[in-house]
Amino acid sequence: MKVLIIGCGKLGFRLASTLIDEKCDITVIDNDEKVIEDVNNSLDVLSITANGLDFKVLKEIEIGSYDLVLATTTNDEANVLISSVAKKLGCRKSIARVRNSEYYNQVNFITDELGIDYIINPDKATANSIAKYLLKKYLLMSDDFADGKVRLVDFNIQSDDKFVGKKLYELSGFENLLITVILRQGKTIIPNGETVLKENDVILISGASSDIEDFDKKHSHIKKAKSVKKVMILGGGKLGLNLGYILSKEKIETTIIERDEERCLELKEKLPNCVIINGDGTNFSLLNEEMIDSFDAFVAATGIDETNLLMALSVKQGGVYKSVAKISRPNYNRVLDRIEIDGAFNAAFITANEILKFVRGRGSLRVNLMLDGEAEFTELLLQENVKVLNTPIKDLNLPNGILISALVRDGKVEIPNGDTVLEESDRIIVFCRHDQLDVLKEYFYKSEKRGGILSELRHRF
Amino acid sequence: MNYAIAFKVLGYILALEGAFMLPSLVLSGVIHDGAFSSFLGTIAILEILAVIMVRVVQEKQKISPKDGLLIVSLAWILVSIFGAIPLYITKSVPTYIDGLFEIISGFTTTGATAIPNIEIVPKSVVLWRSVTHWVGGMGILVFALSLLPKLGVGGFQMFKAESPGPVAGKIEPKMSQTAKRLYAIYMFITVILFLLLCLGGMTPFDSIVHTLGTVGTGGFSSKAISVGAYSGYYIPVVMSIFMVICGTNFSMHYLIYKGKFKDVLKDEEFRAYYIIVILAIVFISINLFKSGYGKLSKTVVDSAFQVTSIMSTSGFSNTNFDLWPSFSKFILLILFFTGSCAGSTAGGIKIIRIVVVFKMIKREIIKVVHPKAIVPIRINGKVVNDEVILGISSFIYVYLIIFVISTGIVATSGVDLISAVSSVATMLSNVGPGFSAVGPTSTFAFYAGGYKLLFCALMLLGRLEFFTLLALITPRRISEN
Repeated sequence: MKVLIIGCGKLGFRLASTLIDEKCDITVIDNDEKVIEDVNNSLDVLSITANGLDFKVLKEIEIGSYDLVLATTTNDEANVLISSVAKKLGCRKSIARVRNSEYYNQVNFITDELGIDYIINPDKATANSIAKYLLKKYLLMSDDFADGKVRLVDFNIQSDDKFVGKKLYELSGFENLLITVILRQGKTIIPNGETVLKENDVILISGASSDIEDFDKKHSHIKKAKSVKKVMILGGGKLGLNLGYILSKEKIETTIIERDEERCLELKEKLPNCVIINGDGTNFSLLNEEMIDSFDAFVAATGIDETNLLMALSVKQGGVYKSVAKISRPNYNRVLDRIEIDGAFNAAFITANEILKFVRGRGSLRVNLMLDGEAEFTELLLQENVKVLNTPIKDLNLPNGILISALVRDGKVEIPNGDTVLEESDRIIVFCRHDQLDVLKEYFYKSEKRGGILSELRHRF
Repeated sequence: MNYAIAFKVLGYILALEGAFMLPSLVLSGVIHDGAFSSFLGTIAILEILAVIMVRVVQEKQKISPKDGLLIVSLAWILVSIFGAIPLYITKSVPTYIDGLFEIISGFTTTGATAIPNIEIVPKSVVLWRSVTHWVGGMGILVFALSLLPKLGVGGFQMFKAESPGPVAGKIEPKMSQTAKRLYAIYMFITVILFLLLCLGGMTPFDSIVHTLGTVGTGGFSSKAISVGAYSGYYIPVVMSIFMVICGTNFSMHYLIYKGKFKDVLKDEEFRAYYIIVILAIVFISINLFKSGYGKLSKTVVDSAFQVTSIMSTSGFSNTNFDLWPSFSKFILLILFFTGSCAGSTAGGIKIIRIVVVFKMIKREIIKVVHPKAIVPIRINGKVVNDEVILGISSFIYVYLIIFVISTGIVATSGVDLISAVSSVATMLSNVGPGFSAVGPTSTFAFYAGGYKLLFCALMLLGRLEFFTLLALITPRRISEN
């Protein structure tokens, strides 16, 4: 698949690196030479220093031969224009990033009239994921698969002696659950029964939703689960606005703290049901004035990662039930597991998930990148004639980086073992390290075949 | 520095070198020229080493720009060291250093020889020497890259370090595809030339040797008097055309393949290159004709052949140009330095750098008159950024410094000045022959071992454009400050 990415900021870069793992041929256009140099030093793509709005360049690179254009410059209007023109010039699909919510509300008009296939709004997508988490009854950060039948939770075992120092097969209460992955200091480990857990490991557990809820109840160190009624959002940027909008629709009492006075007025106009406070939210006297302790949840959504993480952490230590942070760079992945916040949301990753689903097409129901971008959980619908069917899993010789963590057949959730035989139209949830993406595609997707000595050499290296 | 990954890639490179020796092994087995066991032994050593190097290291890590430089430099040194073995064992050369000189001359597409009479050397050895031209021309790592797509971005670092010219550009999004495309074009040109030479009455073996020497712009011949052994105009004309083609930036060939003739004709380097070729041919023809060289047609063909041969840094000769009048020799000497286009198989300073230098001079002149004028340097309508310009200037300084110092050292061997100057120039630009004592009818055999080692270093420096190798040998405390 040939993909053109215009504008290589945080999102563009993330998309490029994700799509490289996907074996796409990528061309990147950016008008900043420094950006292009960075791209050349870290990604195997064709890079061009040019203005994406210079349509001569699009013609020069023969845009008609491309399958997908992703317009992710900082300017919404430019993105829409580029995607529309690219489509007119013969590119098969085009996706534009539109951040301004006023435009985004007219998304149907834009897609229909201008021929753009898909509009992504990272802030809105992030706001949705945050809201989804906040609205859930339980505390552990989780992901739903197969329409909520299967759930995956992250659980930090901290120094709990029910876990630390135990081998996995010694753990009790895991009859219907599967520990899919262990995250240890930013490294991803696929465990087996003999793996020993260490202090501060984060374990990813998959299972049927009801079983996971039981687990959550037992282990989340909170006497009883409570639903979130009051939310405080730090920072009234685009994310704050989107989140405020979703939450106030759900009739949740929302307070937004924003430093800029004019922005506050604007927010109030758009979100009449939210309380808007003008002030410096990193100042605890202001937070105490607003009685931070009476809130059920806190969302740190300023533009600075460090502020977000530390504020979320401080508030969580202060006793707020759920506390999450928005981050935009993957720099702090190594410490994210160790600091006690309930979740960190990276807009670029959330958007990349959407795009991946779009790129993989039929059969791919859901993609969920891990925070370092080196692995993913993916939900698949097995189609006819894919390689994994009709053989017990243990005889498939799947590599160590791939693990089938749950299976939904006829509406029932099963935790697969070595003897399980997969069938057509099973929905499965698979964990896959990205260096094994080839294998994933070979086994689970319908695809063109490759063979011979050269491909053998390729696999060796 | 990530030595583990370097080790692994080098293992693959050695395996490849062994594979490239196979044609010689087969030839030797068929015609029984006595070199069979030497090739078999070398291939065995290479493959065993390769298997060990590839197997031992299990690490999968990314290649940084620094690793790219290290891998490229070491790869070139290693393939030279092992490539020289068959020459030495078959006694084609008297000492191992001569073998090393010969094979580095092959890989760097220099084509200077230390073998006085090539016609008594086993044919399989002659073939191996020419195969190194072909591989070295486009780059042995580029070849490896086309087979190893998993190197990803690290591949681009190696490509940058190996490919000649101030800025290396991909023609396809993925490095491995770029490498494949380049080799596909290269292969195509090779096959066409081979067929044309066969049609011209060369024996298949001589055709192969001359084809490999031409497309790699190397210059090794299977004849003692090089192309002079072939009378008539057909062979020199065909070879001239192909030397010019192979001195052209290969991305131009790619554009032609894509049907974008206009873009090719508009390219500044492409135009400058052809203008220089034509002007040089015209000047030398006039000069030769006036001095009573002979028939006009012969004068034009010989001067065209010699101009394209020197400018593309091949170094074939069909006549002893050392006997030509001084003005013609002067023009040839200039061409020693200029070389051909970036991104081709040729050596030298490269036309693009010279174009930029002239534009810099023009800018300085404008600045004298209008001190505050903003005068960006443009190539093909695009502004060249200051880093690239600085890189070009430092390239030329380094070239000159190394040129001057080496000439001084070579002069201590007792050769005359013009021999010393042309020896160094021909080595740095990977041309082959020089003037006077190292003219087209002589060889480099008479230089003592130490001088040959210096030449080896100069050839590698010239081929890898200095900085790749210099970065490797610069002491850490300088390079990291």
